[in-house]
Amino acid sequence: MEYSLLKFKEPKRRTDRKILHIDMDAFYASVEIRENEKLRHLPVIIGPDPRENGGHGVVATASYVARQYGVHSAMSAEEALRKCPEGIFIRPNFERYRQISHQIHDIFKEYTSVIQPLALDEAYLDVTHNRINEKSAIKIGRQIQYEIYDKLQLTSSVGVSYNKFLAKVASDYHKPAGFTVITPDQAEIFLLDLPIEAFIGVGTKTKEKMVELEIKTGRDLLAWTQVELAATFGKFGRTLYKRVRGIDDRPVVTHHVRKSLGKEKTYIHEMKTDKEILGQLQKMSQDVYASLKKDGLHGKTVVLKYRYRNFDTYTRRKTCFEYIASDSELFLHVMNLWREFGDVTRGVRLLGVTISTLDPIYYENIPLDLHM
Amino acid sequence: MKFSVNRLVFLDKLRTVQLAISSKTTIPILTGVKIEVSQEGIKLTGSNADISIEAFLETTDDAAQLVIEETGSLVLQPARFFADIVNKLPDETFSFATQDSFQAIIKSATSSFKIHGIDADNYPYLPDMDEHLAFKLPVQLLKQVIQQTVHSVSPHETRPILTGVKFDIGGGKLKAVSTDSHRLSQRQVSVAEIDHVEYSVVIPGTSLNELVKILDDELEEVSVIVVENQILFMTEDTYLYSRLLEGNYPKTDQLIPTETNTQITLNIAALRGAVERASLLSHAGKNNIVTLNVAEGILRLTGQSSEVGSVVEDIPYISMTGDPIEISFNPDYLKQALQTFVGNDVTIEFISSLRPFIVLPAAAANRVDFVQLITPIRTR
Repeated sequence: MEYSLLKFKEPKRRTDRKILHIDMDAFYASVEIRENEKLRHLPVIIGPDPRENGGHGVVATASYVARQYGVHSAMSAEEALRKCPEGIFIRPNFERYRQISHQIHDIFKEYTSVIQPLALDEAYLDVTHNRINEKSAIKIGRQIQYEIYDKLQLTSSVGVSYNKFLAKVASDYHKPAGFTVITPDQAEIFLLDLPIEAFIGVGTKTKEKMVELEIKTGRDLLAWTQVELAATFGKFGRTLYKRVRGIDDRPVVTHHVRKSLGKEKTYIHEMKTDKEILGQLQKMSQDVYASLKKDGLHGKTVVLKYRYRNFDTYTRRKTCFEYIASDSELFLHVMNLWREFGDVTRGVRLLGVTISTLDPIYYENIPLDLHM
Repeated sequence: MKFSVNRLVFLDKLRTVQLAISSKTTIPILTGVKIEVSQEGIKLTGSNADISIEAFLETTDDAAQLVIEETGSLVLQPARFFADIVNKLPDETFSFATQDSFQAIIKSATSSFKIHGIDADNYPYLPDMDEHLAFKLPVQLLKQVIQQTVHSVSPHETRPILTGVKFDIGGGKLKAVSTDSHRLSQRQVSVAEIDHVEYSVVIPGTSLNELVKILDDELEEVSVIVVENQILFMTEDTYLYSRLLEGNYPKTDQLIPTETNTQITLNIAALRGAVERASLLSHAGKNNIVTLNVAEGILRLTGQSSEVGSVVEDIPYISMTGDPIEISFNPDYLKQALQTFVGNDVTIEFISSLRPFIVLPAAAANRVDFVQLITPIRTR
């Protein structure tokens, strides 16, 4: 690539790693079905029942039967009900899903310590060096997939390749209970016919632009130079240039660094008094601080979120010089933000308290004991 | 009002009062400078809510070439603009005259400015201080005491009282203490002139920083007046008024350790060099931490950054006694503390990894007259 006077070498493809992407099939729904066999062949929709709560909420997951009706995750619960009137709505039990996710991770850990969870139901594993000294990533992938099914009666789809991008593309390629391998030799050919929306990061907006430019597959994308892609799609254009050539050097990052921790709640009945609002904020501050403490973190930025009855939503933040040291201190900042910016007369139907600028409490500058 | 004056002498006075003028004030007139002309000379005033400075230029001062034709007063706003004009005027002297409706005419050689001013009656009054209450402090010593403590004041408004230095004045002694709760500085000196007074005041660190700038090294003494919530420092040609911080300053005497388990005496320059190099890496990391190790006759300072790498400094020392210790701390605190010592060597005394350590002048007679205390960082 040339950039003014500078010339850059073509990016190199690195094929020495062995990466798995493991994606649980319709995870939340599958857990519910496993625990209640009667649901097995019924359209299970994980999300609040719009007939019970007046139509709020979205679908978290739909079982494969429900998907045949056109129900999918992130769809509003109301729309899901319209598409699938016989759908069985089940409120998500995240505590349970988290528990099972831990069990799945325990299986991963038998094989490698280099695990990057993306959500409760999917993760990347780097098995280049693994705990069972197995050279074949395909064998490891098969074993993990089988062990999950054997121990937990849940199916997963597995992608095997030499980088994260291709491993994820592979696990998406065939579902449910799929197993797809993309070797270095096959990668470029595989990508040629891959539809453009299967390239990770190509959302609805980018896709529209792609369609306009008649980029429908990897083959069309390959015809573009890096400079052209960068000029059209910015930084993402450079990424695409590499991806379509089978290049992705991002490491599997073990420690997911949490950037913020918070809690928010929607209220069916709008709150009209400061007393109610501050009461809720106090409780949330306590919960958020307790979770923070549990995770061994502390933070400096307090964020208050509120939504009025007309759905106008605001976030207000304050960054302190020192880490916030107690739930009462957190509440004090939250209360001040509300008093400064909030307007109780507009009716509040959502509140959220978040702490960001988080750091692990590895270090604590010991304060002097200053009595006033 | 009409006068002519030496440009650079006037500019020097203007720059002095500008120290008190902030462009970020909520009271617009305070962005300006007040100019008052009497038969004796010119008085310039600059002020913000916390500090006010008055500077005087007298007709008896030959270098000022001051000629007064007509008395009067005016506020020019903003002061910075006026200072920029004076700075750029072409001649050695300039003349200043007011016209109707608060216009100022500034002329120098072939240059002539007409500037809009404001009625000086709108400018706030500074408090009247009873000069009989004044006591005197030696300038050099006061400056030293300020420079040895002011770095430890807190920059944060969360505990306002900690943004100032606490001064105990009286009984022949001047004692200054400052702390931001992670470090503490204490300096105590004998001053014969303050045998008869007794004051305990907390002066904002920002005021003290400006005071140090206006106290000329050639001056012998500065007069001080304390009233309720203000303090006034007076030299022949400059007055600085400062707000005092209200509230109870924490008791700090018991915070200074009276025992030690590990004691090291070493050269300041050697230690400072090592700390500055180690902090090149600690600054690159998220947590600004260095670790000092005392063991088996080796004094070792280490710093690291997960992004950049690590550094090891073996520091030469003069003497080392007591137990081995490993202690982590913010290197900037130590660096700033070391800058306040005048001799060649210091003694550092530790108790344990989680207790504050102190830096003293080498061969100090006590742990009271001059102490820099630093709290460690607990690592897990």
